[in-house]
Amino acid sequence: MTDSYLAPLWISLKTVFTATAIVFFLGITAAHWLSRYSGRLKDVIDGLFILPMVLPPTVVGYALLLFFGRHGPAGKILDFFGANIVFSWWATVIAAVVMAFPLMYMTTRSAFEQVEPNIQSAARTLGASEWRVFWTVTLPLAWPGVAAATVLALARTLGEFGATLMLAGNIPGKTATIPVALYFAIQAGDDQKALVLVLIVLLFSFTSLGIVGYWKRRSRRAKGYITS
Amino acid sequence: MLKARIKKSLPGFDLDIELSLDRELLAILGFSGSGKTMTLQCIAGLTRPDEGYIELGGKVLFDSVAGINLPPQKRRVGFVFQNYALFPHMTIDENVAYSIRHLPAWEAREKVLQLLSMMNISSLSGRYPRQLSAGQQQRTAIARALAPDPEVLLLDEPFSALDSQLRERLELELLNLQRAYRASMLLVTHDLAEGYKLGARVAVYHAGRIAQCDTRHQVFSMPVNRTVARLTGVRNLMDGHISRFDKSYTWVQIPAWDMELKALLRPDKGLVVGQQVALGIRPEHVQITKEEYAENVVSSSVLQVVEGISSFTYRFVVDNDKQECHIVNALIPESSAMLLHEGQSCLVYLPPERLIVIPE
Repeated sequence: MTDSYLAPLWISLKTVFTATAIVFFLGITAAHWLSRYSGRLKDVIDGLFILPMVLPPTVVGYALLLFFGRHGPAGKILDFFGANIVFSWWATVIAAVVMAFPLMYMTTRSAFEQVEPNIQSAARTLGASEWRVFWTVTLPLAWPGVAAATVLALARTLGEFGATLMLAGNIPGKTATIPVALYFAIQAGDDQKALVLVLIVLLFSFTSLGIVGYWKRRSRRAKGYITS
Repeated sequence: MLKARIKKSLPGFDLDIELSLDRELLAILGFSGSGKTMTLQCIAGLTRPDEGYIELGGKVLFDSVAGINLPPQKRRVGFVFQNYALFPHMTIDENVAYSIRHLPAWEAREKVLQLLSMMNISSLSGRYPRQLSAGQQQRTAIARALAPDPEVLLLDEPFSALDSQLRERLELELLNLQRAYRASMLLVTHDLAEGYKLGARVAVYHAGRIAQCDTRHQVFSMPVNRTVARLTGVRNLMDGHISRFDKSYTWVQIPAWDMELKALLRPDKGLVVGQQVALGIRPEHVQITKEEYAENVVSSSVLQVVEGISSFTYRFVVDNDKQECHIVNALIPESSAMLLHEGQSCLVYLPPERLIVIPE
């Protein structure tokens, strides 16, 4: 009995933390790279990165299904190694990563761009390599924004439904995350299960919002640093 | 030794300058948007010039022909930013030590302490920039820039955010620092008095070019054209032409005043009789006199008086029969001022040794 509540929770937690960890590094790398890149394709790449956020999740899910499916480019390569992504647990992670990435990328990039350029220039004239400038100046100063972005991305991975259902399906105990399990519980008329799942998600989301608010207050205080 | 030749096209104007300095403080003087800050950015490697050549201490930093462009990290250029740009998340010790972490810990520590004491901020050790006053942040910024022993120190309007008393003190300290170490410094300012006080030489910028670069005395006493004259505080400029020379003076006819004024000879410019020139004089050199028939005395009336702490600012209208309004601005020390009222007639004396003949 409790197993049918705990399995979705457990799957969701695994998916949420794995996906958030991947999105964290991908988002920061993409944001840092693009905020320094000044080539012609900047706007195009920026648009591509944000695309999953403006497309309906089912469209993104269908595109992923085509990409990772048996006849898709990634699917063929995986098939060669005897692996399969579609309808596996990793599919929930991939769907969550793709859907949460734009949020992480956008928020992080604006946090990087708000770091005063002169402070980074100062570090450069003091001999710091670009790598050191990033780790000792840019990231620490943008940290409140990056942390807030991470929490938002985490909440987004938790809520992921459309793309997940398309790519991972609803296999209880394997790919059925909380949102997917909730949908099928309501479809099956299991109101009690639906209610418990809703309460779990509500608790999680309120906590996330609380953390975001905390970081925002910190970041506002951090900006007061420079005024003399 | 810093040598720089920089060309860069910018929105609104093109920067095209050439300058050099060696163990001295060169002040770049000019209004905002004349390319002063951009010059510093190009030398530091933070902005790439379109064309040019920059050499520092025998090392080529930038050469557009040879395709050399060292990154700022490799240039050994110290930069003090207008807003100081301290690292807000580090203590002032960490700020100063940022560039010398390759040294052994004890040596870096010793250097930091030495720099803090040199800038008179030892007592602030351990504090964060936000806990410091503007002046203390400024001192920290200089200490931080000096830590890696740069070949040249670039200062971008370093005193503009400070009140006048603090500013004066820090200016003196910077001057002492420069003299003690015979350091090469390039200082950007829009403040005439500051440029004159600090710069052994002064480069006057106008719309991306150097209008004049010479010793400060030469620049301020012998501006080469009207632009430099105006930029260096010569507020009174009268149009005229040279009527004659004698042994020690140039005589200039001012048609608008229907007068002939004499000014010092200016051997540097090869002037000839009949040439159109401007005569310039600083407000602080204009005097009030009672000698009616003396040379260089202009009869006029007071348009406006403003009383300052230790001097009066006057605006005189020169009497003439053409219904034109020619103003002479004067700044007269309290001790030698007779208090005149607005509308009162008076005699204004323009001392010949203070009048500057400026070729058009």
